Amino acid sequence: MESMTPLKRKQWDRALTFALFTLPALAAILISVEIPFLMSVFSSFTKWNGLDKAQTFIGLENYKELFLDDLDMWKAFGFTLRLTLGSVIVVNLCALLLAVLLDSDIRGKNALRAAFYVPNIVSLIIIGYIWRFIFSAGFESFFQASGLDFFMLSWLGDVNLVYFSVLMVSVWHSLGFYLVIYIAGLQTVPRDLIEASMIDGAGRLVRFFRITLPLIMSSITVSVFHSLSNGLKAFDVIFSLTNGGPGNSTTTIALDIYRTAFVINRFGYGTAKSVVLFLMILILSIFQVRLFKSREVEV
Amino acid sequence: MKKYTPASTITTLVLSLVAIFYLYPLFLVVINSFKTFSEITSNVLALPTSLVLENFSNAFRIMNYPQYFLNTLLATAVGVSGVVLVSSMAGYKLSRTKTRYSFVMFMVLIAPMMIPFHSFMISLVKVAKELHLIGSPLGLGVLYWGLGASLALFMYHGAVKSVPQELDDCALIDGAGPLRAFFQIIFPLLQPVTVSVIVINTMWMWNDFLLPLLVLSGSKKSLTLQLAAYNFFGLYKVDWNFAMAGVLLTILPAVIFYLSLQRYIIKGMVAGAVKT
Repeated sequence: MESMTPLKRKQWDRALTFALFTLPALAAILISVEIPFLMSVFSSFTKWNGLDKAQTFIGLENYKELFLDDLDMWKAFGFTLRLTLGSVIVVNLCALLLAVLLDSDIRGKNALRAAFYVPNIVSLIIIGYIWRFIFSAGFESFFQASGLDFFMLSWLGDVNLVYFSVLMVSVWHSLGFYLVIYIAGLQTVPRDLIEASMIDGAGRLVRFFRITLPLIMSSITVSVFHSLSNGLKAFDVIFSLTNGGPGNSTTTIALDIYRTAFVINRFGYGTAKSVVLFLMILILSIFQVRLFKSREVEV
Repeated sequence: MKKYTPASTITTLVLSLVAIFYLYPLFLVVINSFKTFSEITSNVLALPTSLVLENFSNAFRIMNYPQYFLNTLLATAVGVSGVVLVSSMAGYKLSRTKTRYSFVMFMVLIAPMMIPFHSFMISLVKVAKELHLIGSPLGLGVLYWGLGASLALFMYHGAVKSVPQELDDCALIDGAGPLRAFFQIIFPLLQPVTVSVIVINTMWMWNDFLLPLLVLSGSKKSLTLQLAAYNFFGLYKVDWNFAMAGVLLTILPAVIFYLSLQRYIIKGMVAGAVKT
């Protein structure tokens, strides 16, 4: 160190400080995310039962099986896409409508906003369980009280109905989250623009579609982004509400990956599925953000 | 002052009804947790005739609640404080250093925001096993560091820009080392972000299920509340009175946390969502 020039010494100090501040984060992220991710990409080309140390390299066999032979995976894929599409549309429309109503000059809007947020603080595992109770014991009592056959349908047992049950429960849980994003967005719309349009004689609907909506486009981008990726990753609520059933009808990709690896011990094959999930979410998200960003306007 | 029109009063009324309807399922959970089993089977909607507190004491005992509560608290506390520490330091330094290396490092550190957990969880279990991080709440907490750091770092990185560089320089001229300058001068000024980071990570870690399932389910002593609740429901599939008491006990800490810090929680969640 003594032989260093003052300038070199200063650079050395700087590099040390930089390392001191950034290496802990780098180590944590490498350990928990990036090394496991790279290992998964590697494992996706191997046969591996998770117990042995040995992973046999089998090239593209896993991907071949996945794309050509695995009907269950494609069924899970289809269900995940349908669930995602449904929840993106329903949750965003409901949240936006509620946000607009809650952003107007009404009494108790903070209390109302807080109320709609409550299901969001409960874990999805518990949410799924609560709704199992409502769909069974709860609906029986609703039927006795109302006589409506609607309540006697098998909401978790019928292959055609269970989609709507899962969709409804996911929307019910997450609505509050998207609601607060939209309310935050609406609060950034300048008052004078709204007032100017009122003076110009624009009605409520025109005002909403021509002024408010373009100005909160960034909130829509964010909300759709989150609902899209949360939909594609759905796991907890399915795990406790239907456990993938009846049959395999509500198995999502995430649940399928979990089972492939940790239930039937095909770790190599499971990692191939997880790489596909990663690519799918990445491509759909980039596509969605590009599409939505192009519609955003600045004030 | 704002004035309320008749139309707005009607909106309030309608929305209040919608909110009541919306929260009705949770209300049913609460009233049924106080009923006897036969009261539940005869009518879920009726109010309990007397408060059956044994439901709670039974659920509390069978779930082994205190132990699992402490486990969850430990994992969450270790996880949240680690995330705050590593990401505030890195976010600060990366924001202040404007070199190519710094930019590359920043990209490497925020890349995980685009990698969904399910796409690497299988290998994460293997890594965790090698590092002896499985089977204990402490190890779980440590695993959360890297999982939560990217978003937090990104938020800190943005916030540091609004803290004047002169403050760093002053502290350094006054003889503080870089660590001291950061923790005594800069870190306190980043408090709004820290609050958001704490809120986002606490809600997530406390309610997380899949990672605890993967790394803790082998050791009965180390379960978190969510795992214990899940096992409990498996045992008491139709004993709704116990189960609903269990549900209530499990969500109670989160509800208390929410009610006491509601404003910060909503603000923090929005901040985290919008930043990405």
